[in-house]
Amino acid sequence: MLSGLAVCATITAAFAGVTGAWSPCGFSMVETIGSALGDARRGATLLASATFALGTLIGGVVTFGGLALLGQLIGGHSSWLREALGAALALAAAVADWRGLKLAPQIRRQVPERWRWTMPLPLACALYGILLGLGFTTFVLAFAVWALAGISFAAGDPLLGALVGVAFGAGRAAPVLWLAPGLRRGAGDGDGARRLDEMASEPRLLLGLRRLDALGLVFCALALGGASATASAKAASVAAATDPSASGGELVWQQLAGPGALLNAAGAVSALPGVHPALGGGLVAWASPTAVTVADATTLTPRLALPVTGVTALAVSSSWLVYRRQTAPDGAEQLIAVSLADPARQRRLASAKLPGQIGRPALDGARAVFALNTPRRSAIELVALASGRLRPLRVATRDAQFSNPSLMGGALLFERTTRCLQQLQLDVTTPRRGARERTLLRMRSTVSRDIGYEPGFEHAYNMGSVCGDQGAGGGGKTRLGPTALSGASVYVTEITGVGARIVSLRR
Amino acid sequence: MPPEQPDGERLSDAVLRNSSRRGFLEWAGTAIIALAGARTVAKGVLPDEADAYTNFCGHTYTTGNCPHPTGLPRVDRHDYPLRASDGHPVDDLGRPVNAQGQPVDAHGQLLREPDGEPLAPAPRSKVCPAAGDDYGLDLRTDGSWYRCCGGRVRRMMDCCGKTSKRINGDEALVGYCYPGRHVFCVQYYETMVPC
Repeated sequence: MLSGLAVCATITAAFAGVTGAWSPCGFSMVETIGSALGDARRGATLLASATFALGTLIGGVVTFGGLALLGQLIGGHSSWLREALGAALALAAAVADWRGLKLAPQIRRQVPERWRWTMPLPLACALYGILLGLGFTTFVLAFAVWALAGISFAAGDPLLGALVGVAFGAGRAAPVLWLAPGLRRGAGDGDGARRLDEMASEPRLLLGLRRLDALGLVFCALALGGASATASAKAASVAAATDPSASGGELVWQQLAGPGALLNAAGAVSALPGVHPALGGGLVAWASPTAVTVADATTLTPRLALPVTGVTALAVSSSWLVYRRQTAPDGAEQLIAVSLADPARQRRLASAKLPGQIGRPALDGARAVFALNTPRRSAIELVALASGRLRPLRVATRDAQFSNPSLMGGALLFERTTRCLQQLQLDVTTPRRGARERTLLRMRSTVSRDIGYEPGFEHAYNMGSVCGDQGAGGGGKTRLGPTALSGASVYVTEITGVGARIVSLRR
Repeated sequence: MPPEQPDGERLSDAVLRNSSRRGFLEWAGTAIIALAGARTVAKGVLPDEADAYTNFCGHTYTTGNCPHPTGLPRVDRHDYPLRASDGHPVDDLGRPVNAQGQPVDAHGQLLREPDGEPLAPAPRSKVCPAAGDDYGLDLRTDGSWYRCCGGRVRRMMDCCGKTSKRINGDEALVGYCYPGRHVFCVQYYETMVPC
């Protein structure tokens, strides 16, 4: 589903594209495609119109999709700052377009006229279309074009960028497609010619379109600023908390000094009668010293009470419960899955002699995911609970640790930690062509590093000791912890010293 | 001519006194000269530590450190990484760990998550082969050289492979590598032997 920002940016881009019809190139395109051909070559006019439209779409996608891709590549750590700057840019452009201010800086260039004479008309029009679709190769008629470029970059979402590009290209092509076929100069001018003359003699039309751009930009600014403000506000909203679990607009977590807590869809927080809470499939689960309880997430009416002791983590879905329990005083642990339809049907997913090796589980329907870490191997394992088939999703035998996975639909949220960095990553569970892992959060390692040479000695050629994101000295103060994934947000625990808080980020 | 004897002093006492002082001074002077000479000779033959070693004591020439979780490429005798400052074992993330590979604090106590669960271990891999994996090479420790550093014997371990380039990006040296192999990067092991 498209976000509010994507919708308003796409609509604004379409208006901004139409605004371009008032540029020297816009008028020239109508004349180029529509004139001098006449009814006798109507087919050629239509073909040229089609290639021109295709060109504008390609150009638009290249510019705005490319900027969005660049924004994504730059990373998500400072996304709130980019969003705030994008919102400010959109507002400034809205004011300028509403007031009809003169464009500055202006790009005083036009498409090459010679193409019209030296190339077949469809080819020339395709190339003209690409240049006009690119947006910044010729005259710009509205500040909205600049603002949309900033919004695409700030959003860092290639899909949004591509949509903006398509809308902008379509907007640039629409007036030409509308006017050119009806253009016939001379005695008894066609409808197209009359409309073209009206456009040229009526600047209020242009101002009206720029004001539509301005309105669209205001909504874009609100969407961007709202997202930024929400991310900042939510970051501090769940303090002294860890182990988040989310489902259907609800969130549960473990309070640092107390029982589990539930934030329902209406925004009310209530304490749960147990610890290590988990949400999923309309159910909530919690543990007590002697049992695990599964209850309705709305009414908290118990559905199942499973007599288990020593539970240290839980996950629940509409059909399965997974719990981690300590099985021996020395800390040995097991991860067990229980069918909610038939609690006698149980499956052991993992065992470990030492505590800490089996990570906190997460469930999505009948699929469980958890981290399994030893000094020899770090992995995120996916288990199909119906068949018991286990498949590693991520594996490292050196230099990295994978931890704290969450699963929803085809999306996998997890953390990757190296000697230099901690990263919160969002990817698909089954890699497919073109799918790309996204870094939602990036922090320096918490580990102290020396300077790579002993004081008093030459210190050249020690690049092997260098950690680009982290110099010498103490590491970062914040460590990434357990995560949760919902339709619109990701949740991650930030652990600092003895404190912890749950931070929400936009997906 | 014998020295003039003070009144009332016995000859034997005077001889003893004079010969003793002079003998000591002669012996001391000779020793100082020998020591100074030895230092001069040693200085001429051996490299001065601060000037001739690169990155850390004992490492001659300019080959760079092997990538190491905490910086200086200190390893144990099996090539696993140690924190240079105190020799504590560290995992690949640079966290101090116990014998089971579990992260520990400065007092050796297990580090824990906010919910009380111990922190998850991470891979702990040999520094030299890991460097090879990073750079697409098959690397291992070949020969070594020993030097006295900070009052203990230090083993300089060349991480070698069939490569003509070293980690610095330029031409690799033979170093202590076996025939046909060159030094890619360097690491060291601090022995318990005093020097």
